[in-house]
Amino acid sequence: MLGKAAGWGIMGRSAIWLPRAGTVFLFVFLWSLLVRIGDYPPFILPGPERVAARLWALAAEGALWRHWWATAVEVGLGLGLGVTVGLALAYPLAHWRLFEQMMTPYLVASQAVPIIAVAPLLIIWFGPGLLARVLVSALVAFFPILVSAIAGFRQVPLEWRELFRSLQATRWQTFWKLEWPAALPVIFGGLKISATLSVIGAFVGELISADRGIGFLIKQGQGLYDTPLVFGGILLLASQALLLYGAISALEHRWVRR
Amino acid sequence: MRHRFLVPSLLLVALTACQALAGLPAPATPTPIRLPMGYIANVQFAPFYVALEKGYFAQEGIELSFDYSFETNGVQLVGAGQLPFALVSGEQVPLARAQGLPVVMIAQWYQRYPIAVFALAEKGIRTPPDLRGRKVGLPGFFGASYVGFKALLYASGLRDEEVEAVDLGGFTQVAAVKEGKVDAAVGYINNEPLVLRRAGFAVNVIDVADHTALVGNGILTNERTIRDDPDLVRRFLRAFLRGLRDTLRDPREAFEISKKYVEGLSGENEAAQWEVLQATLPLWQAEMPGRSDLRAWQEMVNVLVRMGQLKEPGDIGAMFTNAFVEELWPLVEQGR
Repeated sequence: MLGKAAGWGIMGRSAIWLPRAGTVFLFVFLWSLLVRIGDYPPFILPGPERVAARLWALAAEGALWRHWWATAVEVGLGLGLGVTVGLALAYPLAHWRLFEQMMTPYLVASQAVPIIAVAPLLIIWFGPGLLARVLVSALVAFFPILVSAIAGFRQVPLEWRELFRSLQATRWQTFWKLEWPAALPVIFGGLKISATLSVIGAFVGELISADRGIGFLIKQGQGLYDTPLVFGGILLLASQALLLYGAISALEHRWVRR
Repeated sequence: MRHRFLVPSLLLVALTACQALAGLPAPATPTPIRLPMGYIANVQFAPFYVALEKGYFAQEGIELSFDYSFETNGVQLVGAGQLPFALVSGEQVPLARAQGLPVVMIAQWYQRYPIAVFALAEKGIRTPPDLRGRKVGLPGFFGASYVGFKALLYASGLRDEEVEAVDLGGFTQVAAVKEGKVDAAVGYINNEPLVLRRAGFAVNVIDVADHTALVGNGILTNERTIRDDPDLVRRFLRAFLRGLRDTLRDPREAFEISKKYVEGLSGENEAAQWEVLQATLPLWQAEMPGRSDLRAWQEMVNVLVRMGQLKEPGDIGAMFTNAFVEELWPLVEQGR
């Protein structure tokens, strides 16, 4: 029975990866077909082979990894900061109504401010270094995790809370043994959104001020009318978002669904 | 096959040119043209506001509207044939052509490259060598400011690594200089240094155009428009040149007209903005406004190659044409 289950597991993985690879091939094929049928010049729509060649040239110069890593560091720090602040605020917001009523207008308003307008100010206040770009990424990332964590903490069934109360559990025990595990599935949902948004945040920060990173590459590509480089940059950004999403899904699978 | 169409085509072009020069009535249906300006609404666009207000574009059968979008967007739209004209800085032309965009500058409106390095006088930065070892802020590592800054360094024998360039992430040079975040900054000679001076600071300015000749802002079109619709180019350019002529002759009138198109030209900003226009006029003046100098194009292309933004110079002669300006300006100057 176990052997059969394990066998199905391997088959199941293949069954997932094959269609995924198929959609990638289909996407590249349709993209290539569109370029050929439309006979578009590369500055309007470069074909996949041109984009691949541009990325290859960048890798040969040793620049690809340097820019990819610069953005990855900003995304990692930005997401880490955003998640930390989001979770730290979520618990009191979920439990103390007065605190929630005081803070909610500011939190909602903070999300209505276009990040592209705020980013240059952050650069002036904190200087054109890593810190400003990490803050931009964190600002974008923290709201989804905050909202999802509040929802997660509040969804714990009342009878479970009463059970913990009847067992005279401390606040910490209630949090660690009940609220946190119960909220985790919802928190992971918010974390996935925060992760992809943190990539956008780091990109916006680099677009405003940077001398390296994928945003810098894309800006260079735009400034030099090098559309294959712009497309290459977009693919690099997508690769980071996909990697993060995959890593979080794996963690979710390990911690929540086992 | 091609020759069969060549003679009638040339006759048609000649006929439309004669019609246009004779000042015949404009086409019954006006041609709508959206013009990417590459910057926000500003008194520096006064010649266009004057030409529009006085009906010069309407007389040419053109219904002009302004699009205050990014410079690179305008270049791409013109290169792709989506729009016929855009206002761009000179260095955009070789950069775009290197990527296959068939764009051509038809009038170099800014005869002097308008970029300068400015610093508070207390920093003691008066000449390019004073920048050695200093921190210089730029709105970004792209565009006219970046090219002008690099050209200044190269013309002065400075190496890239001798001056620390800082990306300020936008047009925040004045704040960065005032707060001492950088020793100097790069900006438009008719804008940022004036703002600082009006705020009461003593400012030193290094004018890039005093050290090297580069191609300033101008009007861009594409090869297809020149080939297939040269009459449109003539009509558009004539209306612009008439606006430019009037602005140079009567700046005060141009300023008053600009108030209708630019927010904040009245009230407390009026004196400062009037100063901006006055500082801008010398950048446009020339014996034949709008004419390009081949040596400036060569110099600029050399700078771009040295910066690594261009792999090779490309066909410099294809980047601009003086044909339209040389044909139209003498007539416009005579009041036609």
